[in-house]
Amino acid sequence: MRTTPVRLVSVLTAAALLAAACTGGDSVLDAGNDDPPETAAPVTTPTVSEPSGSAPDSEVDSTPDQPDAEPDDTAPPETVGPTTTIAPLADLPPCPVEALDAADGPVSITFWHAMANELETALVDLVAGYNSSQDRVQVTLQNQTAYESAIDKYIAGGVGSRPDIVQLPEYVVQAFAQSGTFVPMQACIEAADFDMGPILPRIADTYVFEGIQWAMPFNTSGPVLYFNRQMFEAAGLDPDDPPVSLEELRAASQQLVDSGAAGFGIALDSGRDSGGGWFFEQWFGRAGEPFADNGNGRIAPATEVLFDNDLGLELLTYLQDMTASGLAVTVGDNSGGQDTFFKMIAQDAPAASTIATSAAISSVVAALGSGVAEGLTPDDIGVGPMPGPSDTPSAQPGGASIWIPAGKSDEVTAAAWDFTTYLAAAQTQSTWAAATGYVPMRSDAVELDPIAALYAADPRYRVAYDQLLPTVDDASAVVPALGPLREIRAQTADAVAATYAGGNVEQILADAAAASNALITTYNSQN
Amino acid sequence: MLAPSAFILGLFIVYPLGRAVWLGQQRCNAFGDQCRSNGFDQYLDIFTSNEFQSALRATIILTVITVPLGLFLGVGLAVLADKHLRGVGFFRTAFSSTIATSVAVASLMWLFLLQPSVGALANIDWINSLFPVIKDPGLLQDPDTALPSVAMSSVWAGLGFTFILVTASLQGVPRELHEAAAVDGATGTMRFWKITVPLLAPTLIFVVIVLTTRAFQTFGEVDLLTNGGPRPGNSTTTITYFVYGEASVIASDPGLQAGGAVLLFVILLFLSGLQLRGLGRRTDLG
Repeated sequence: MRTTPVRLVSVLTAAALLAAACTGGDSVLDAGNDDPPETAAPVTTPTVSEPSGSAPDSEVDSTPDQPDAEPDDTAPPETVGPTTTIAPLADLPPCPVEALDAADGPVSITFWHAMANELETALVDLVAGYNSSQDRVQVTLQNQTAYESAIDKYIAGGVGSRPDIVQLPEYVVQAFAQSGTFVPMQACIEAADFDMGPILPRIADTYVFEGIQWAMPFNTSGPVLYFNRQMFEAAGLDPDDPPVSLEELRAASQQLVDSGAAGFGIALDSGRDSGGGWFFEQWFGRAGEPFADNGNGRIAPATEVLFDNDLGLELLTYLQDMTASGLAVTVGDNSGGQDTFFKMIAQDAPAASTIATSAAISSVVAALGSGVAEGLTPDDIGVGPMPGPSDTPSAQPGGASIWIPAGKSDEVTAAAWDFTTYLAAAQTQSTWAAATGYVPMRSDAVELDPIAALYAADPRYRVAYDQLLPTVDDASAVVPALGPLREIRAQTADAVAATYAGGNVEQILADAAAASNALITTYNSQN
Repeated sequence: MLAPSAFILGLFIVYPLGRAVWLGQQRCNAFGDQCRSNGFDQYLDIFTSNEFQSALRATIILTVITVPLGLFLGVGLAVLADKHLRGVGFFRTAFSSTIATSVAVASLMWLFLLQPSVGALANIDWINSLFPVIKDPGLLQDPDTALPSVAMSSVWAGLGFTFILVTASLQGVPRELHEAAAVDGATGTMRFWKITVPLLAPTLIFVVIVLTTRAFQTFGEVDLLTNGGPRPGNSTTTITYFVYGEASVIASDPGLQAGGAVLLFVILLFLSGLQLRGLGRRTDLG
């Protein structure tokens, strides 16, 4: 009874294995593309009525800093050719901000977030404060444990199982804006005449796609340099003047290693959300170069990445030289985000510094305060701007934002907007930033306690905020908006890891760009 | 009479399986709302792709390490603990304790043991002078040692399961057989191979099948220990991680994910059949 199906399956599998052995290996991303690749797919470079052919220099469409100055249907539709799928704001789900007035009794909404540990405690406090401050809306928090889980669950669920409000990271902007499942935040901003003026332009622009503000920034962070002040002093470096450019970092590392103050000048990694992806994009921004075409993918969907150029080559060569010469050490993929910090407190050959998100500052201070590293107190860790390919501190905002899913009742959407305005308020931002180490997204929040007091008492917390202040009026002000940005970061992470392993950087960069462009082509043909 | 169970089977097994098979020949966007059918030869494309072949290779290596080693250690410990000695209960508890440890907890424990800067293993001098890779770059960071290290964690976590099954089975082996053989002059080794192993065979087959299936479905260890890395090369991306892992290259394509899952199903079906046939023939399993 067993034999027949078993025999059938074994024959089939053997045939498949044989077929596998006989065919050359292609990428799985080409699977099913037997027909000529659909390169002529819907999205081609749109005709933007701005400086022709100068995507790298063209401006990111201005965000609604002054909503009243921007009539309803101005956004980009008229400026972009017919081949794209931009919907004018009027065609997108509306935001009935007044509906809350008509509701009988308090409206309950659920909020999906991805904040853990100290961050979750701070968020719980914020929400409790909101719930008790008024009687029209009651917010229930649902912890999704990580951005990835929130994203997966949001995608997998239907309208009914989606939350009324959700926190999502900056790298999903294009994919989620194009999903057609959200009320654009701009609709609410315009309907309520909400003043975006005090919000730092670079932070607001991070959530703009095709000229529409899709989400409200909430928790903002940026990469900063963490360094061991004791080691800097021992090496004869000034701990109050950490390296800002990559060349200064190289010189400081040389001094740290030569003096024997540290085993390595800096611990680097090849993680997607750090050295292999996010920082690589950041360095392009720092140098004032776009990472992708069509204004870093902000004006219209990008059609290709631009990192396979002199700057890309320069950056990878720098990383390779730093590790090969023993000035820097790589900890690998750093998937938990802690390995670079652990390298700073290793018994043998510790590193004197690392680059990591500013959001880690409260955890680092807490860990050192608990005595995790012998002889190191929280005051021994210094924070400086992210070193990058320029002499001026500057960084692109990262972090996450608040999105309002569409398809809910008017009361629920209005309640979600009301809660959003609370999260975006100056006092909330001040409290939140002080409790977490995130950067307040508004300039007026910085003047309010508790963050004003914290910044005065401990300037380390202010570094991430200050480096977001420089105004950059081109596409490099913000991280690229790319549909498959997550997968593209995996490609650059592979490239950075291969660079550390000693590969040929030109080839590595070309391969990563080709793979990224294939991902973009596939994405554009599917969306 | 069959209707209720047929309905439940249909709803929870047949329909999802059918959907997965259908989805596997499509390419979709991340939201799965725009899909294009490419025909069933897409399965062949997935199977022959570099990434799937590499995942298949990683899975086979993982299986080849974990199944024999898990079986050997499980049987060995069970035989050792099958003696009537004082305090043997403590060892039985200790050896079976990993069954009460979830994969996540076991993996995190190994993650901190193996951490190259501050991990326990990296700071024992004689160990890391004997194996410098533990410190630089780290067992989980080196492309050559990452997969065996994941396998080690997996063997450790699965040991309690094998131990308990084999111990239970050993207690069913009649003492008289051993005593009679001993009277006839059989040594301990001979009695193990001629009496214990044949009588344990049905249990061992079951254990082999379960361990193999478990090895082919390894996900938690990879997700927590290496995230499919180390890059480049992703030597610990197993088929399950390739299908479901968040750092997988197909993480945003439900069509390719379903295709990979169906291929894994077919491979496991084939392997289980082969094991039942090959091993079952040599025992009275029936």
